[in-house]
Parts: sequence; structure tokens; C-alpha cells
Amino acid sequence: MFRAIFEKHYKKLALIPVVLLVISIVFLGIKYATTHEIINRDVSLKGGITATIYTEKEIPVKQLESKIPESYVRKLAEFATGKNIGYIIETSAIDEDQLKSILEQEFGLNLTQENFSVEKTGASLGQSFYKELVIAVIFAFLFMGFVVFLIFRALAPSLAVIFAALTDVIVTLAIINLINMKVTAAGIVAFLLVIGYSIDTDILLTTRTIKRKEGSFYERLVSSAKTGLTMTFTTIVALLLASIFTTSYVLKNMFTIIIIALFIDILSTYLTNAGILYWHEKRKK
Amino acid sequence: MKIKKLFKKPRILLLIVFIIFAILAINPGFTKGVAIKYVAFNSTAYIAGMRSPEEATSLRDLEVILYINGQKINSIEDYAGMITSLPINSSIRIKTNKAEYALLKTSNDIGLTVINAPTSNIRKGLELAGGTRVLLKPKEKITEQERQQLVDVLENRLNVFGLTDVKIKPADDLLGNKYILVELAGATKEDVQELLGKQGKFEAKIGNITVFSGGKKDIVYVCRATEQQCFAGIRECLPTNGKYYCKFEFGIKLSPEAAQRQASVTKNLSVITTESGQQALEKKLDLYLDDKLVDSLLIMADLKGKAVQDIAISGPGYGTTKQEAMQNALKAMKKLQTILITGSLPVTLEITKLDTISPTLGEEFLRNALLIGFLALIGVALVIFLRYRNWKISLAMMINCAAELILLLGFAAFVKYNLDLAAIAGLIAAIGTGVDDQIVIADEILRKESFYSWKDRIKRAFFIIFGAYATTFAAMLPLFKAGAGLLTGFALITIVGISIGVFLTRPAFAAMLEVMLE
Repeated sequence: MFRAIFEKHYKKLALIPVVLLVISIVFLGIKYATTHEIINRDVSLKGGITATIYTEKEIPVKQLESKIPESYVRKLAEFATGKNIGYIIETSAIDEDQLKSILEQEFGLNLTQENFSVEKTGASLGQSFYKELVIAVIFAFLFMGFVVFLIFRALAPSLAVIFAALTDVIVTLAIINLINMKVTAAGIVAFLLVIGYSIDTDILLTTRTIKRKEGSFYERLVSSAKTGLTMTFTTIVALLLASIFTTSYVLKNMFTIIIIALFIDILSTYLTNAGILYWHEKRKK
Repeated sequence: MKIKKLFKKPRILLLIVFIIFAILAINPGFTKGVAIKYVAFNSTAYIAGMRSPEEATSLRDLEVILYINGQKINSIEDYAGMITSLPINSSIRIKTNKAEYALLKTSNDIGLTVINAPTSNIRKGLELAGGTRVLLKPKEKITEQERQQLVDVLENRLNVFGLTDVKIKPADDLLGNKYILVELAGATKEDVQELLGKQGKFEAKIGNITVFSGGKKDIVYVCRATEQQCFAGIRECLPTNGKYYCKFEFGIKLSPEAAQRQASVTKNLSVITTESGQQALEKKLDLYLDDKLVDSLLIMADLKGKAVQDIAISGPGYGTTKQEAMQNALKAMKKLQTILITGSLPVTLEITKLDTISPTLGEEFLRNALLIGFLALIGVALVIFLRYRNWKISLAMMINCAAELILLLGFAAFVKYNLDLAAIAGLIAAIGTGVDDQIVIADEILRKESFYSWKDRIKRAFFIIFGAYATTFAAMLPLFKAGAGLLTGFALITIVGISIGVFLTRPAFAAMLEVMLE
């Protein structure tokens, strides 16, 4: 049944991720026009401080945010027991000493090197981090496009792979904005991994369907999807567990981005990329 | 029978050899005691013959203190308690795993910096061990040579100040900026800002003429602790306006040229009588640090025109209690002494990033990293088992993931790389990619169409794996330089990890499946 649907409607199916991509581009375009940003950068990419206070005392996040100007507060809790471990506070508006005195007052604690960690990034450094990481992502795209072309020596399949990776990145960016998630420097690095994972499944698909001849195209597609989906789901399950239990926001940010992108990748690989390859095969005959 | 066959496969044997090397590099073990990280020059411990380890010493090769005066030492707490409990002028017998030393305790500081004895050669980076990381950016464009000079002065400054666990290295980024990255254990934010964020240009002026400045050229000796010939410490403490004020003082020795310069200026000054009735010169000796006046010293009348080489430098410290004022004065003294000894930096540095991670958080982070690593592996094993319903494949995959982890940690221990947050993210990425590749191999091998030979099927799997390897490798290259070296760990560990995978563990995995599923 699936076979009939695929072979008859492969063009329409291939368009689903394309539509998602177009919606995402429009969404990001509007966001850029209004805020001059495509992502919500956290302090590691725009400058400011991230402080971690380590305490069992509980204060509502909203209350803390109202006391600290332009701040963003996250609670740290042990997942298994729900026990409060502490808070992570981000702000670009005040300096460390001011923040420290506010926190000492709110928590009634003496903040020392033992219970307080601070990461401070200068505004210019955050800005150059951001620029560099964007350059790194663009270079990664170019390098990988080149490698993919070397492997397949055919234009349409190579472009399909690059298109799928691009879709994964851009749709994921839009979703991150939609759920109002801030992106750390590590988050952008996660996009590099996304490109890598995305291309892995595409290379698998292209190799199995184009380079091999046993069975029909559809049979080869199914066998490659079986392998590819196993890969994607093991990664999703492992990262989901890790992101639920991690206390590090940096890791959580990376894992969340990769998980979202992997779901998008299932669509872009097995609808669009597979569709383009099917069309490519049919045309050759 | 099958197990014997496994050990006949050269790919598996090769993997085992590398794992043995990795375990040797990690060198795990359980030694109780405290390891010596640093011995201060000319300290009690130094005189007794103890020496700092060479910089390249592996953690597990550090000299470990086992007994003090016959008492077993198990931790830093034991060590600190033991040393402070012994009375001054008593003798200390220290037995290490290498030798025995006899020391005479002259103060609570016997000159040793110790850590709990390491249980492996794996070096914990900032996020795991706690500490301070500073990224410095010169305020003007500098040459490579100037940067090296900066690194040297900074290193000297931190060492003279007494910070021993310090790593300083140059770092660049993709935009062509030059940075200096400093990582320290156990420094406070204030120390770092004073020692690294300030140029430390010290000048002593009479009127507007500079008579001497900081550094070896003008100042040949700085008295750091009271000895027979010199004084260094608190001169007096007085209450002022409900606060306390303490004055520190220490002696320095000027070079003959600097002393001569001073004499030629004081020669022309006239003598006046001060408010307190002292005979002094009309102008004072003004001390400036980074163009800010820190103190003004009276020059006594009898020094007029004399090329005196021994000079006393003083300065204030304030506090709400006498104790606090004294401590602040002593701290200020130590910083000033450090700057006088090491001289000023060739250019001013801007602190563009300053991270202080508490050791408690570091420990918590490590525990958490181990927990999520374990959970992720369980998750992988579960999905693999549900997919293949074959415990042999799940087992082989887990063995391979573990092998990759050991090989990567062995690599990090061997090249003495500090595992920080970025490196841990790299570990996760590498092992994740490894799992994906193993699924590709398993699927190729298990495929029903059996008109391909084993060799062909493995060859086909590796075509896909090599393609994926090449693209990931390419993606990681720009990261080596991006972010002033802060992401190097990620790029390095990922690339090494996937390379180990493609050339060692994946071939071994294929061989394992071949034997197990035959």
C-alpha cells in the first residue's frame, strides 16, 4: 500500500518538507525584519554573565527575574527526586558584583567560590564568537557539499543531499524560535553535528538506492529507511534521556537542537530526498 | 570455540592491542595520599630536598606523600590538619612513595602545593575540576613575538604571586584576532583582575621626573618576607573614621643607575620642616601604578643628593576590623611586590571572558556527565535490542562503544589533554556517530539477499561509513580555530573519535559479527 502511495504521489510527498522550509524561511524573515536577529542569542553569543548559584533554598523563578534586570532564570533540579539544586541566571544588564549582592540578599546566603560559579563574556567577544560560528557552519556546508559530490559524481543526488541538510537546519531554527529557546555557542556547534547526522542518512539512502541494483527502487528505499530510522531513533532516544537528566544547560541546548533536527531529517530524507532520487532513476530509464 | 575464533581475527587483535595501550596511558589505580604539585623555591620543603614535578609529568607519576611523622595521610584534609597541628620549630618527617624527607617547620606554610593523589592520568578540565578561565585580548594589534613576551611576563607574574597551577597559551580565532588563554586552579576573581587585567606599570616620581620604574632594570631586589637585612610586613595599624587603616612596608634595592638618578633629582630640592616637625625634602616620592597615585613617601633631609640603593616602599590597606585591614594591606603588598619584580606588560590586556567554576559544581557536573552517559548507553542498547532481537548484536555494540570510550580517554591521557565541557560534548558526538555506523554494518551483514559474500557486504557498509566519516571530518575542521580555542576540544575529540571508529573499532565490530553470527 505504501508502495503505491509513494510511487504515485512521490512528487507531492517530496513537497511537504519544501513547504515546511518555505514557511520557516518566511517566519525567520519576519523575525529578522522585526528584531534583526534570526535566533535568540544567549549571553555566550552576545556578551553578559551566566551565574550558577548552588542552593537548596527555593525562590520562584518569576520573582528572581523581577528582581534582576533583563534576566533569564532557570531552575536546576535533580530529575529523579525533584530536589532543588540551584539556579542559573543570565543577564547582560548588570555586572557580577551587582548580581552577587542581589542574589545574596534574595537567598540570604554568603556566595563563595564553593557555591557560586560565574561565566562572563565580553560583548565584543560574544559578537565575534557568533560571527565565527556562522562562518564555521557555512564552511561546513561547502566542505560537505564538495565531499558529497566527490562520492556520487552526479549533480541531482548531491544537490538533494545538500538541500536536505539545509532544510534540517532552517526548519530547526524556526522551531527553536517558536518555542522561544535561546541558543548558546554550543547550540551552534550542535548545528554542525546536525549537518553531519543529516548527511549520514542521506549518503546511506543515496548509496543504497542509486549505486545498487538488487530489487526494485522501492525495496531498496525501504531497506535503507530501516537502517536509517534505526540510526535516527537510537540517537533520539539516547539524546532524549541525556537531555532530561543533564544539569548542564549547554548540553541540554545542544541535545534539544539535535533531537528537533533529527525529526525534521526523517521528513527531508525519506520524503524529499527519496522523491528526488526516484525521479532521477525514472528519468535515467 | 567461537571465542577462540574471535581472537584469531587480526582486526580484533589490533583493537585489543590499542585498548591495552590506552589502559596503560590512563593507568588507573587507587593510591591514597596527597600528590605534590609544586614546591616553592627556597621553602622549607625545598631545602629538605623536595622538588616540583616537571611540567610534562603524568598525573600518576607525581610524587605522593603517604605518611607524615608515621601517620597515614589519605586526603588533603588529613594533610592540612597534620601540618597545622604540629608546633612551630618541630621536625616533620615526610615519607613519599619515592623517598623520605626531614623538614623543620618554621611556619604553617612549608612550601608545598598538594592535591589528592590522582587515580588515573585523565586530566579534568575547568568544568570538571573547578577553577578560573580567563581569555585576554590585547587592546592593540601585536606581533607574534610580542604575544610570546606577554605570555612570559604573565606566567612569571602568576608564579611570583604564588599561583602554581597555571596554564597559559596563545589562542587565535577565525577572524584573525590574537588572544591569550589562561586557566588557573584556586585563584580569586580579584587576583585575576589585578594580575592579568592590569598593565602593572609602576613608576616612582619626584615632581614629574620618573626616578625608577618596576622591573629588573631599576629594581634589583624586592624583599618579600622579613629577613636579617630587610623588612616586609605591616608597620602600623590605626583606627580612622570608624574603619581601620594598616600600613604595609617592604624594602627594595635599586640598581646603581636608578639610585644615581634619584640622587641627581634630590640634590636640587630644598629642605623643609613638616607638620610633625621632621626635616624632609620639599617634594615627596610619588608612587604610581598604571598612572594612578598609590602613595606619597616623605624623603628625609639626610638623603638629599645621596645615591641610596635601599628604599622602603609602603602603601595602605583598609577594613572594618583591624584583622581585615591587615589582610587587605598584606594582599596589596603581595600584588605590588609581584608587579615590581615582574615589570609591566608591553601592552594592556582586556579581560574578554572570565569564568569561575566552583569545585563543588565541577564534581557535580562530572557525576551528572557519567549518569547521562550511562543512561544514553542503556537507551541505545534498548533500541538496538528491540530492532534486532539479538543479544549478540547488542552486546557487540556495547563492547565497541566501551572500547571507543577507553581509546578516546587513553588518547586524552596520552597527549595530556584536559577534558572540559567541549571535549565531553565531542565524546558524545563521536560515540553517537559510532553507534550509527555499527547499525549500518549490522544491517548490511544481516541482509537477506545472500548473493553477496561477507567481504562484499562489509565493503559496501564501509563505503557508506567512509562517506559519512569524510563529511563529518570536513565539518569539524573550521571549529579547530573558531572561538579563540575554546571549541578546539570538541573538534579534536570528535575527529580523533570518528577516526578511531573508522580505522579500529568498526573493522573489529564487523569481524566480531562475522564470527558470532556465522
